[in-house]
Amino acid sequence: MRTIIFATAIRYLTPLFLLFSVYILFRGHNHPGGGFIGGLIGSIAFVFHALAHGSDHTVNTYFRLKLYSQEGKQPEHASPQYMWDLVRANTWKRAEEVTPVNWRYYIVRVRPAYMMALGLFLASISGVPGLLQGKPYMTASWLELEIPIIGTLGTPTLFDAGVYLLVLGMVLKMVFTMSKE
Amino acid sequence: MPSDLLLVLPLLIPLYGALLCLAFWQREQWMAVMAGLAQVAWLLCAFMLMRRVLALEVIATQVGNWPAPYGITLAADVFSAMMLTSAAIIGLAVYLFSLQGLDVTRRRFGYYPLMLLLQMGVAGVCLTGDLFNLYVWFEVLLICCFALLSLGGGKGQLEGAIKYVTINFLASGLLLSGVGITYSLFGSLNLAELALLVRQPEHPNLPLLSMASVFFLVGFGIKAAIFPLFFWLPASYHTPPVAISSFIAGLITKTGMYTLIRLFTLLFVSDQGFMLPLLAILSGFTMLIGVIGAAAQTDFKKILSFHIISQIGYMLMGLAIYTPLAIAGSIFFIIHNIFVKTNLFLISGVVAQRYRTFSLKKLGGVYLLQPVLSVLFLLTALSLAGTPPLSGFWGKLMLARAGLEAGNYTLVAVSLCVSLITLFSMTKIWNEVFWKPRPVAVKKDIAMAPINPLRLWQLYLPIVLLLAFILFTGLYARPLVRLSERAANGLLHIGTYTDTVLSNNRAK
Repeated sequence: MRTIIFATAIRYLTPLFLLFSVYILFRGHNHPGGGFIGGLIGSIAFVFHALAHGSDHTVNTYFRLKLYSQEGKQPEHASPQYMWDLVRANTWKRAEEVTPVNWRYYIVRVRPAYMMALGLFLASISGVPGLLQGKPYMTASWLELEIPIIGTLGTPTLFDAGVYLLVLGMVLKMVFTMSKE
Repeated sequence: MPSDLLLVLPLLIPLYGALLCLAFWQREQWMAVMAGLAQVAWLLCAFMLMRRVLALEVIATQVGNWPAPYGITLAADVFSAMMLTSAAIIGLAVYLFSLQGLDVTRRRFGYYPLMLLLQMGVAGVCLTGDLFNLYVWFEVLLICCFALLSLGGGKGQLEGAIKYVTINFLASGLLLSGVGITYSLFGSLNLAELALLVRQPEHPNLPLLSMASVFFLVGFGIKAAIFPLFFWLPASYHTPPVAISSFIAGLITKTGMYTLIRLFTLLFVSDQGFMLPLLAILSGFTMLIGVIGAAAQTDFKKILSFHIISQIGYMLMGLAIYTPLAIAGSIFFIIHNIFVKTNLFLISGVVAQRYRTFSLKKLGGVYLLQPVLSVLFLLTALSLAGTPPLSGFWGKLMLARAGLEAGNYTLVAVSLCVSLITLFSMTKIWNEVFWKPRPVAVKKDIAMAPINPLRLWQLYLPIVLLLAFILFTGLYARPLVRLSERAANGLLHIGTYTDTVLSNNRAK
């Protein structure tokens, strides 16, 4: 069942959910929040989007990137004009009608499994700076400066970001798999 | 290399190996290359850890640099280094086997990363110095086991996996309750600190410790498949392909046994008058029931699965006698059994690759066609049964001697009888699979797979490697016996362990 109110509202709420989840992620070190809950909230955005539009649409909108370029290798490809066209086609003028006919596109897919792998990697790499200083694994090191809203950055933030990606990828993997029947 | 790094690497190497595999998802050759690199690196790391531990006895690190009772402790002594090294050796062997012995579909759908994560779980169980983390690492290990057991999704496999999952969830619940009870009794989860607390005779909660210990006994008893709690094992271990079941059968129940030995020497020592006779009865029944169950089976892998249970009984026997020699015997037996059991499963895999069945009734005549394989099987099987100069004999000798010295005559008698029945059931496999002529009716039904010399050689390679190790520990048992005695000594004299872990509070 598709209701137009829900579908329209979700389109505007999705970025809000994501923004809020990132806020939760950063405030997590000294307040309630953190990577796990942030990842869950972030996944709510995509789960609602999938509820409203179907999971295929969600994948196409957020997890599939079309990269345009001209086919083959030709001498005029070195020209600044081509570079400008390339950048324009791949950033703000994405729609097919503005790109020239002989352009090809490549699809880059962001699979949830890759997000999980990246998250695990970030979380585990966050312990290495401690090792490099000759201290035990995962010894925290913090930057001096304090950024408003986000707070201080340090290796535990990196760990939390890894957890965020891991949880997000995990939930999305489950949701996309189950909605596929 | 600093100890801080050396203790973390056994966890990080499989993790990064698995992540690299994920990056090459569905490109099966690249995944195999990455997994191979990780296996070799893990083995090297395990050897380095072993060397360090032999020099320093116990090493410890506090992850996150929080002092010991609060931080996450990783510690290694001789026993855990031995477990880790043997896990690394059979990990490499099973990896080599899987290159030819496992179908492409399973390899493509995440066999290698799952295997690496399973090894990470094993390393975590061996290295952790914290009761709650022990539980967490066991969960890591079991989740990978679930996935591996059901990988490929055959009907029998799913049935086995469901049984495995159900009973192991129950066990995990019991373990978590045990962890909670221990924490509420003593206010700590750090193994070293707990070890000191339970040795204070005037601690008010000490009489309640046995209650917590029963939770651990039942929980890890299910995971190690000891007597009344073993039914899930023969129901699930024979279902997945050999490249999976050989590693799980070789290592996972022994990991449960490792934890039992670790906890019952470190923590639950206050009420031995009640616990040791209970363990002795359990171990006797585990041996007996396992081997009798094996005698009734007519499937190659099922016989081997039942023998796992019977061998677990021997390991428990050492713990039940509880003298330095007995614990050393248990440790020797665990290491010996890891190699022998894995090797037997791998051999069953080679047989099944050619003859496409595990059923004893349909097999036969392997000796005529593959004499080398037959000799490999014979030597390994005799090691398992404990025929004199081979490795099983030394383990049983240590256990029997310790039992006689401690006056546990019934248990020793049972163990020797079981040894005899083990020999009988190995002879049964030998007769049915290798010696008797191939049944005529089957010859028409099931065609033998064509033989490819290079492929066969690749299948033989890990088996020969493992057998070389088994023969070495049998014919020249002294180093391993010494090592086991040293490990047992470390377990029974906990001073070095607690001192190293608790003095590690350098807040830099």
